[in-house]
Amino acid sequence: MSTSPSGPGPAPQAPGREPVGSRPEKRRAARDHATTTMTGLAAKVVLLGLVAGIAIWAAFPLVEAEKWVGLALLAATTAGLFYLYLTRRHVPAKYLVPGTLFLVAFQVFPVLYTASTAFTNFGDGHRGSKQDAIVAIQTASVKQVPGSAEYALTVATKGDPATGPLVFLVTDPATGTVSVGDADGLRRLGPDEVTVAPGGKVTAADGFTVLNFGQASARSQEITELVVPTAGGALRSSGLSRAYEGTAVRAYDAGCDCIRDSETGRTWAADESTGSFVAADGERLAQGWKVGVGLRNFTRVLTDENISGPFLGTLIWNFAFAIGSTGGTFILGTLVALALHSPRMRGTNLYRVLLILPYAMPSFAMLLIWRDMFNTDFGLINNLFGLSVNWFGQEWSARAAVLLVQLWLGYPYMFLVATGALQAIPRELTEASSVDGASPWQSFRSVTMPLLLIALSPLLISSFAYNFNNFNAIYLTTEGGPFPADNPTNGATDLLITYTYRLAFGGQGAEFGFAAAISLFIFTIVAVVSAVSFRRTRKQEEVYA
Amino acid sequence: MTALTGSPVTDAGSPPVGRRPAPRGNRWFARVGWRHLVAVLAVLFSLFPIAFVLSAALNPLGTLSSTELVPTEGVSFGNVSELFARTEFARWFVNSLLIAGLASLASIALSALAAYAFSRMRFRGRRVGLLSLLLIQMFPQFLAIVAIFLIFTTVTDLWPAIGFNTPWGLFLLYMGGALGVNTWLMKGFFDTLPRELDESATMDGATHAQIFFRIMLPLVAPILAVTGLLAFIGTINEFLMANVFLTDTDSKTLAVGMYGLLQGDERNNNFGIFAVATLLTAIPTVLVFQFLQRYIVSGLTAGAVKG
Amino acid sequence: MRIRTAGVVAVFALALAASGCGGDSDEPATKESAKAAGGKLVIWADDKRTAALKPFAEKFGQENGVTVEVQAVSKDLQTNFVTASQQGSGPDVVVGAHDWIGNMVQNGAIDPVQLTADQKGAFNETAVKAVTFNGQLYGVPYAMENLALIRNTALAPEAPKTIEDLVATGKKLKAEKKASEILCLQSGQNGDAYHIYPLYTSAGGYLFGTAANGDYDPTDLGVGKPESIEAFKKIGALGEKGEGALKRSITPENSIATFTGKKCAFLVSGPWAVADVKKANIAYDITPVPGFAGGKEAQPFVGVQAFYVASKGKNKALAQEFVANYVTRPDLAVALYQAEPRPPALTAALDQVKGSDPDLAKFTEAGENGQVLPAIPAMAAIWDPFGKAEAAVIGGADPAKTITAAGKTIAGQIK
Repeated sequence: MSTSPSGPGPAPQAPGREPVGSRPEKRRAARDHATTTMTGLAAKVVLLGLVAGIAIWAAFPLVEAEKWVGLALLAATTAGLFYLYLTRRHVPAKYLVPGTLFLVAFQVFPVLYTASTAFTNFGDGHRGSKQDAIVAIQTASVKQVPGSAEYALTVATKGDPATGPLVFLVTDPATGTVSVGDADGLRRLGPDEVTVAPGGKVTAADGFTVLNFGQASARSQEITELVVPTAGGALRSSGLSRAYEGTAVRAYDAGCDCIRDSETGRTWAADESTGSFVAADGERLAQGWKVGVGLRNFTRVLTDENISGPFLGTLIWNFAFAIGSTGGTFILGTLVALALHSPRMRGTNLYRVLLILPYAMPSFAMLLIWRDMFNTDFGLINNLFGLSVNWFGQEWSARAAVLLVQLWLGYPYMFLVATGALQAIPRELTEASSVDGASPWQSFRSVTMPLLLIALSPLLISSFAYNFNNFNAIYLTTEGGPFPADNPTNGATDLLITYTYRLAFGGQGAEFGFAAAISLFIFTIVAVVSAVSFRRTRKQEEVYA
Repeated sequence: MTALTGSPVTDAGSPPVGRRPAPRGNRWFARVGWRHLVAVLAVLFSLFPIAFVLSAALNPLGTLSSTELVPTEGVSFGNVSELFARTEFARWFVNSLLIAGLASLASIALSALAAYAFSRMRFRGRRVGLLSLLLIQMFPQFLAIVAIFLIFTTVTDLWPAIGFNTPWGLFLLYMGGALGVNTWLMKGFFDTLPRELDESATMDGATHAQIFFRIMLPLVAPILAVTGLLAFIGTINEFLMANVFLTDTDSKTLAVGMYGLLQGDERNNNFGIFAVATLLTAIPTVLVFQFLQRYIVSGLTAGAVKG
Repeated sequence: MRIRTAGVVAVFALALAASGCGGDSDEPATKESAKAAGGKLVIWADDKRTAALKPFAEKFGQENGVTVEVQAVSKDLQTNFVTASQQGSGPDVVVGAHDWIGNMVQNGAIDPVQLTADQKGAFNETAVKAVTFNGQLYGVPYAMENLALIRNTALAPEAPKTIEDLVATGKKLKAEKKASEILCLQSGQNGDAYHIYPLYTSAGGYLFGTAANGDYDPTDLGVGKPESIEAFKKIGALGEKGEGALKRSITPENSIATFTGKKCAFLVSGPWAVADVKKANIAYDITPVPGFAGGKEAQPFVGVQAFYVASKGKNKALAQEFVANYVTRPDLAVALYQAEPRPPALTAALDQVKGSDPDLAKFTEAGENGQVLPAIPAMAAIWDPFGKAEAAVIGGADPAKTITAAGKTIAGQIK
């Protein structure tokens, strides 16, 4: 929790590290007047103390778990923070590091991790390691030996209930005889050695401590792992009160690197390129594992007709959607903000509260309502205007409807931001221009609008980028529809993101690797567009420089 | 601004204030009336879908049917009592307020710091940094969930206090997103402040921290308040991550708990109480907005520039 | 201005302090969550079932000296379970629909459950079949659900024998202005494969063929075959350009509400709709979904809710104990029924409650000829394209072209 805002560094700034690109002679003057405030110093001490405290708190579990890399990382981060806020250099870093730390841990790392899966077959059926898959296959193949008995089970130990070696006391339901079993096998106990409750559970046995459920469940893993070999297979626990004789029909054979079925004799050989066990006739076991596939996911994006075919059309609509959403909300939000921005206006407070209400409600609920309002037969919009338009059933009406919903959902945001922006524009400027004889429109055009654009253009870029990938806006309304009757994979309101989501997750199990690859493509497109428009803001940004 | 061009301001050719006398009604309309007209239309546009929520909340059958704005079965408050009786709504409410309140305060703090640096300082990697900040947000969240599980499984093993099923874990995760859009938003506002302000302050011997806390922050108070409100709303409505984190019924937030009411076949049975919950959710937001209004709308800036 | 500045700074300081304090106040919490003496059992379910399960899970905990936590995952329970399991932060037991089994098994997320022959015999046969996958029993079922025809007996006193009957009655009611819709069968713009399925089977269509061992065979896909085209021709005839009985404007959101609003006399829905119907004080009856005249039987999907043991749970032995020996008790099944009125899968429990709830027997009867919802992973590829094809055909698209395209898409998705 390193939110130290860097106490006021005692005076003289290293040249070139000044916060403002001010002129040298001014800086020299500043040096003489520099002071250190007590509050600043105190804040610095408290916050750095907090950082140290948290670091120490966090270090103990790391030491205990012997995670030395993690500990080194923690120590380095803490030391770095101390250096940063005790030195007078690196002023920008003092302001950037607190947020960046969180950003790296919880955003950059997940993104990099996800991007790395684009080079694998990661997805349903291929999530874990080969070893995981083998264990899963073996466990899933354990079958009860036909005709074998179901035993009542009691877990017991010869030593301490918490640590002593475990044994199974099993009662044969037919004969009532009790045997004790451990990894070495099964041994019968005399009837006088044990006390058996009705139902077959052993309540006491000479030389053994019977574990109750609480004690036994604390050692759950050992119980699950304890397999008592028998002639026909092995006794395994099923819960804490029953045992059965079962055999794993399928087992991994390291010799042939394959899975062998002992009943049928079939084998499935490991295929390292696809991460699955495949039989000679092509049958594949469901449980596979994660393997690297190189660029296969990327080539699939480029060569798959389903993707490349409708790509251009989807891309164009995607741009239209992002621009329309951003532009529409900006225009309406600014207009309303302007309307309310006047000292003569009464009731602005009430208006503002009512206007932000749409934004204050859970959007998934409101999207449901909107979907219902566009209903052909029952929807308000058709009823109100006496229409029978199938809004979501036709390309252009569906697109218009989606944009309208976006406008409704998003303009309170732009309204709030524009309100804040207008407040930040010094009123003297507009007043001055109106004294100069400019009409309100002229003064808006020449004074207010440019300032508003300086304040909001970064936001417009980020809003565009956000809407370009606005998954929920489409997925919760039209789900990408309407779809042409002969192509259920690509609809008229599909964005690239909803479209690829359907491709990667709509089929037989989720394909995370493939989805990540497509995301990287989309990412590249957005990055280029944003970077280009961002370059154009440089001029505005330097307006006061 | 096509909409504005069509507005009466230009149509009336509205004369600058106090120059020439104009017909009374017309002048009123040009100055104030059109503002009310725009505001009322916007309010209507905003509120009419919400009217259905209200209708469903008061409808004893609690069904979602937009053709019947007025409940035919009469009005009842049964849904309200049912909401509190059947769910842990009060707990969700408190959880949401705490998490959203804390997270929005902390996140505006983090993003204001970063925005100041991006706006006022020139350093290597500045523009690249800004752009990457934006692009990182672009990666689809539903893919990142796998990685989030990966991180927090380790965190839960080591530090259960900040792991899964704790509000702190969720809070940390939200801090990861603090720099995103908010930094861009604030940077835009820092950019509009005249450079002369900090230059003269520097001349007076102020340090960068003093400039930031004493001069910059008060000047951008409106936008801090706006960003704070947006962050608050955003956190209260955040769903995807909270759903992964909070599985104890008692620890859920409003968004997660309410989504649970609507899932699957329950959607119809619960819509009435869901509508009540939706309306109640808006209350804290409105209160926060009321509280922040004085920062959003005030003569702060005017005074500051003069000073 | 001074005061305001101070205010802003104070808010800021507060934020910083608060975020800082976060770390510190965690320490007592760590001590609290120290391991209980006995084991801990974590169960994941959706919200509704969490509420019903809690008292029973707690009782199980008290009886056996263990801690039981029931946690609700409000959205994407299955995906989150699989992901969390893989990373090692999943629960010990998960509760969900039986058609998740295929995907959970291919991800190695659940283990087979060993029930004795007696225990198995206590369950409804269809329910046991539903949770059996690749010859192994993977879950313990507790409730079943299937579609039926719910009828407003004030508007339509006689149960229709065929769809044609139903349409005729519905049209008459519409002409007399007693109802505005012929049939409430939800579709929406993107269709609803689950709800159209009884009609699809009655018209002769099928989804997957059956393999030798009785499982569904993903290599024999029925969508796109001539039978399915014929079936969709019949469905199309009921659509917007035909009889007008099937409409895209009837959605999951409004179909029950339209029925309870007395705007249609027939509703195709499941046990979950009954609560609403009762609340609206409608005289109703429940009968099987009728088929086409001269067609095959209309077979609804039968779905089963079940408990599963997680492969990577921290307390597998306890989880097995809970699922195999506790969930199989009739009193729990009855309690779960009371929380959510669906027919219990345990025959003894069904017998116990059906006396007081005649609807249960009627739903069970309607599901008797039903088909178990396929649990094979390939089924996931069906829903979306099949639903869209349905919606398109209802809207008047050419059945042959539409279904062939849907079949092609589905086949492309099945590995």
